[in-house]
Amino acid sequence: MSAIAELENVSKAFDAKMVLYNVNLQVYQGEILALLGPNGSGKSTLLKTLALLTMPSSGQLKFNGELVAANNVERLRQQTTLVFQKTTLFEGSVYDNVAYGLKIRKVPKNQHAELIAQALRIVRLEGFEKRQAKRLSGGEQQRVAIARALVLKTKLLLLDEPTTNLDPKNAQIIEEVIATVNHELETTIVLATHNMFQAQTLPSRIALISNGKITQMGTPAEVFGKLSKNLASFAAVDNTFKGNAMPTLEGTTMVDLGNGFRVEVTEPKIGEISVFVSPQDIILTKTPFQSSARNVFKGKIVEIADLGSLVKLKVDVGRVFTVQVTKRSFKEMTLNLDSEVYIAFKASSVNVL
Amino acid sequence: MVDLLGGLAKAGHLIITGDPTLYGIVFRSLLFSGVAVILAALWGTPIAMLISLRNFRGKSLVKGFFNSLIAIPTVVLGLVLFLVFSKGGPLGFLGLLYTPAAIIIGEAVLITPILISIMITAIEAVDPEMINLARTLGASESQASIAVLKEALNGVLFSNVASFNRAIAELGVALMVGGNIAGLTDVLTTAISRYTQTNDIALAIALGILLMVIVFAINTFVVLAHKLKVYYTVGRSPQ
Amino acid sequence: MQTWQKLIIAATLATIITIAGTAAYFQLSPKRRLIVSTTTSLYDTGLLEQLERDYENKHPDIDLNIISAGTGIAIQQAQNGDADLILVHAPAQELTFLQQGWGLNRKIIAYNYFTIVGPQTDPASIKGKTTNEALQAIVNYGGNLTDQSGQTKIWISRGDNSGTHSKEQSLWRAAGYDYSWVSAQPWYGSVGQDMGATLTLADQKDAYTLSDIGTYLKFEKGGSVSLVALLTQAQSLLNVYSVMAVNQTATANHATHDRINYADAMNFISYLVSPETQQLIENYGKDIYGQSLFFGAVQPLKDNAPQPLVGWLKSTAFFDGSECPIQYRIGYPELYAGEDKIG
Repeated sequence: MSAIAELENVSKAFDAKMVLYNVNLQVYQGEILALLGPNGSGKSTLLKTLALLTMPSSGQLKFNGELVAANNVERLRQQTTLVFQKTTLFEGSVYDNVAYGLKIRKVPKNQHAELIAQALRIVRLEGFEKRQAKRLSGGEQQRVAIARALVLKTKLLLLDEPTTNLDPKNAQIIEEVIATVNHELETTIVLATHNMFQAQTLPSRIALISNGKITQMGTPAEVFGKLSKNLASFAAVDNTFKGNAMPTLEGTTMVDLGNGFRVEVTEPKIGEISVFVSPQDIILTKTPFQSSARNVFKGKIVEIADLGSLVKLKVDVGRVFTVQVTKRSFKEMTLNLDSEVYIAFKASSVNVL
Repeated sequence: MVDLLGGLAKAGHLIITGDPTLYGIVFRSLLFSGVAVILAALWGTPIAMLISLRNFRGKSLVKGFFNSLIAIPTVVLGLVLFLVFSKGGPLGFLGLLYTPAAIIIGEAVLITPILISIMITAIEAVDPEMINLARTLGASESQASIAVLKEALNGVLFSNVASFNRAIAELGVALMVGGNIAGLTDVLTTAISRYTQTNDIALAIALGILLMVIVFAINTFVVLAHKLKVYYTVGRSPQ
Repeated sequence: MQTWQKLIIAATLATIITIAGTAAYFQLSPKRRLIVSTTTSLYDTGLLEQLERDYENKHPDIDLNIISAGTGIAIQQAQNGDADLILVHAPAQELTFLQQGWGLNRKIIAYNYFTIVGPQTDPASIKGKTTNEALQAIVNYGGNLTDQSGQTKIWISRGDNSGTHSKEQSLWRAAGYDYSWVSAQPWYGSVGQDMGATLTLADQKDAYTLSDIGTYLKFEKGGSVSLVALLTQAQSLLNVYSVMAVNQTATANHATHDRINYADAMNFISYLVSPETQQLIENYGKDIYGQSLFFGAVQPLKDNAPQPLVGWLKSTAFFDGSECPIQYRIGYPELYAGEDKIG
């Protein structure tokens, strides 16, 4: 397999702060590579390096076989593009936004409309050309940003947390878009995520990153197979916890996450394991209630993030869980910071990694 | 006492009948201030871009410097420029004193700080990722800077309009380096000042009215043009 | 190349084009530029604009530009070489100007009288008195005011170091007062503005002030002030206007010498002293105000009559018995042909 981008002993420091340490990485033609790691681990810097937006402080960076230097960076940069985690759009219509890179590349004007329509079709925004981009919903805006990158048909497409802060519907569309683009257009994709699920399903390879270093590299099966050892450093990944598993009399497994905080799991396991609960699978209530859910905890809301139709909450129940509720129920329940709430999830909703 | 109503009536007459002295002064005011804004924008924009898009030591000091220059009294600047342009001064060999070019350059210097300050504020209000966005979509460094300027378009326009307002309404520089020579360097403010002094109240009022009308019209035009642009892109629904 | 670099180049080019365009305009213009620096009080009468039209009609190859400022600034401009000619009314400063070598070929061209104006009621009863008696009456009246808080003003001064202001100071001194004492009195107000503003304020305060006749008549005729002229036509109130060419070889910066339009300046002086122009000066404003604002000084000086006017003119504005002592003249003997040269 030929490598589109190769990093050799790349380090990057901002002022005195090291963000990447001796990273060696090859991105192969046609693959989807996921960079998996908590916030602040260096994923975004690594993507910016691959996008040729920042130059390494030391080490070598080759793009398409060429050593990247000041005199060729502007040319090479046109063959790679990055979709930021925080959706950034230009003032103006969707059409104006998607057309930007085409204009820069001096693609003949008479081809724009068709290329733009194609790109919008892929992200399922057909007919959105004349809409004011900044007035679309968060998910639609992110899809415009992806279309704006797709239309360029670069060799390498970089996506920084493309589904974070999106509702499940938009997240699903984007995951499908990633798969389609990789499959049908044979675009090489590097994707940064801290979503375990995304990392398990989409990519051909995973690179685990923590504290600016690549700690593990391989297929999802390989990486998740021996993840337990590294997962200690993954505490910052949403709803992922490390603990000690013990079988129960009922045939389920009780995982002790430390200090007596226990989560019940259906899968039979023993010993050191890591577990993950999808935010969508957690039920939030203001009062204790009877249900079949085996895991019920009482806690306080410590963070509220508005995602448009959805609201993402962090609830501290001894461990901090991320929970998603619709805007409507959030309002009906009159939730605030410090509100006392209960969270509940089934034992079968807990994924053992 | 000054006969205000009589003065107003005569002023109206002068405006309606298209008095050539009056409109000559208006034309020069528009021309000098307009060219001054173009000059100031040409040299102020790159300075504003450098200051707002780059990080360097003493950045806030530089910004503070331009901010405080806004408050410089026009007569003080006028005096400094007079000494510079004077035949005995450092740029005296150019022979610019008491010429339109002296007013244009003087006013351009006067409005540069206000232009730069407003533009810096506007550019800094743009998402800091905007420049990287343009670059990752393939833009060269110049094209990326232009993309940022475009995002700051309202502020950039406002900086130009505010500068024009200051240029056309200032007296000190135009008087000291222009000399208020009739038919050559007399502009709205210097003429108003002189005609008030010589008790030609009607002419002074007429010029005052026209000055207000010009400033008001230009500001209204900019606001309307902005609204129209928004309407054009937002108001139309898809399909 | 980066955007800002391109823009800086564009800005430099645009600036150069502006400068070059202006320079080319004046270079290529078939007209020669002659800059006259004069005092505001003279310029504001409108006389010079009429003379400018007449002169440019007769000399279509010359573009006469008139700059007005206080006498002090007019002299400064001449020293810098920014004016080719100055037209002022402050003999003491003119003498210094000549002595320091800045000016040449002085000619007295016109005169009129300052006037002390005040409210119709004339509360200090100055009408009919000499200038000295009048100012003493004003000081007495001011000292006996019941309100000494500084709210009530009975004298308003330009206070701006103009020719008129320096005339006022010399009048107070002549009347036996220390000017700094007078100006510190509560009834004495100083505005630091032009004559029009000073007259308007004096009118509103029912106060006295010293004014040049031209500005006063203009404001009085226009109904802007209701002050009346109480003292006029005294030797002490004589106001003499003279013209001087700027000395090409003496300006502050030697590089500027050849930029001073000496030849045309002398041509303009000859124009000003010609009988037709003298007549034009004397007729100016007659149709509007029913009296002359200025009187030609050339013929009386040539004729040495009438008296006592010529005596007053000589004692006010002559230096060493001449309007321009011989060491301050270069060429143009015809200007001084008829002069009585008794030292």
